Amino acid sequence: MAKIIVVTSGKGGVGKTTSAAAISTGLALRGKKTVVIDFDVGLRNLDLIMGCERRVVYDLVNVIQGEAGLNQARIRDKRVENLFILPASQTRDKDALTQEGVEKILEQLKGDFDYILCDSPAGIERGAQLAMYYADEAIVVTNPEVSSVRDSDRILGRLGSKTQRAEQGLDPVKEHLLITRYKPARVTSGDMLTLDDIREILAIDLLGLIPESEAVLRASNQGVPVTHDASSDAGQAYTDTVSRLLGEEMPLRFHEMQRKSLLSRMFGGSRR
Amino acid sequence: MSLNANSADVAFTFKGGMLPMTVMELTSADPERIRRQLAGKLSQSPAFFQHTPVVLSVEKLDEPHLALERICAVCRDHKLLPVAVRGGAEPIRQSAWALGLGWFAPVEEGRARALETVAPLNEPEDDDIKPATAVSVTTRLYRGTVRSGQQLSAAGSDLIVIGAVNAGAEVLAAGSIHVYGALRGRALAGIHGNTQAGIYCRELEAELLSVAGNYKRLEDIDSQLLGRSAEVHFIKEQLEIKPLG
Repeated sequence: MAKIIVVTSGKGGVGKTTSAAAISTGLALRGKKTVVIDFDVGLRNLDLIMGCERRVVYDLVNVIQGEAGLNQARIRDKRVENLFILPASQTRDKDALTQEGVEKILEQLKGDFDYILCDSPAGIERGAQLAMYYADEAIVVTNPEVSSVRDSDRILGRLGSKTQRAEQGLDPVKEHLLITRYKPARVTSGDMLTLDDIREILAIDLLGLIPESEAVLRASNQGVPVTHDASSDAGQAYTDTVSRLLGEEMPLRFHEMQRKSLLSRMFGGSRR
Repeated sequence: MSLNANSADVAFTFKGGMLPMTVMELTSADPERIRRQLAGKLSQSPAFFQHTPVVLSVEKLDEPHLALERICAVCRDHKLLPVAVRGGAEPIRQSAWALGLGWFAPVEEGRARALETVAPLNEPEDDDIKPATAVSVTTRLYRGTVRSGQQLSAAGSDLIVIGAVNAGAEVLAAGSIHVYGALRGRALAGIHGNTQAGIYCRELEAELLSVAGNYKRLEDIDSQLLGRSAEVHFIKEQLEIKPLG
């Protein structure tokens, strides 16, 4: 039976889709059969980040409305085995999603996969609500800034009350904190919240910390999830994150400012 | 016509306010019975009866007519100042207006029930805080973080939170509020007018603190008190915040 994991945040632009793409890629690289679903109906992005936008025929809404089967709509990833993408519709809006439709799709996928990742839209409205409703676990993506932390806090409140697990009194949704766009230098100078500040306010387990990195921007524009860029700091950080998600202990990296060597300071060497 | 009057010409400004108000909920329309009960209360806590404004609630009464004038006189004899009537049929409303009193629409069922559970108002005879008199018999206990957008309310008792109250969250209690963690959101104690209620927290970062409608915003709080454990009380008509212990 598959585990359903929602990637959510409340606030937009913090890196939900990037993280959903990178983590699902990481899980597939570890041999887990994984499908990632874009719930952002009307603002489809996941297909771009995953580099499969030219192969979209049917989408989530088509499946919900019975116009296509799941096997027709899901797209097999070209780079990794075991990874599938279920894109969102760009021409509809979130009202096209129904609770019964989402439940039916997840039930069908559960038998076939180890992990189902739901890439939530920003906000707390219908799309975000349906993306989290059936989740077993949640990855709450947060940037080191106050507005992002507050929105994540709001989402955590809803995970504890507006999900199937909460409503039926089952074990609560397992919550993980994923901090993205972390800049150790700006944290040290006091411009950004520290790792400890965020952990204290949100009071949930830290799953991973992704440093702000050029590699992420490059990956997004090329449509190659950053996990494939094993030489980059962000790629390694996502690989660590996936390991922790699979229950392995990994030391935390990239959260402290790296001292530049004298040579790189003299010659202005930049971090890749 | 301009709405922006010259400030020198302004004799008054209208302002919305939330004032603590004692509601006297009548369960009998008999002025003599009311008189006997008031006399008993007066001997118990004389400090309470100092021209205290009260709203007479007649929602529990099923009578279309009421000896409102006599009831008001009984109240005034005992140094209670009726300022308005809540609920009742049209004749009651008319006689309230005739007596120069205000009239409020009856409250919905849910709120009325919440009000019943409030501990009887008991004014201290001096400035000493006597927790035993402020605490009602039940307490609502919440374990965990109260998160942004969540509202936690103890409509008839004290509230204890074992965890933090985050920014954007709101905790309310008829009695006192205890937060064994950081208080970053809004905390409103004594929401039905209990001025003896207090707020206690392990780390003060509150957006708003209120006891019986008297509030302070984060901006009004001495920054030296922030980040420390603190207690908040309503003393000498002021909200007093001081380090705990």
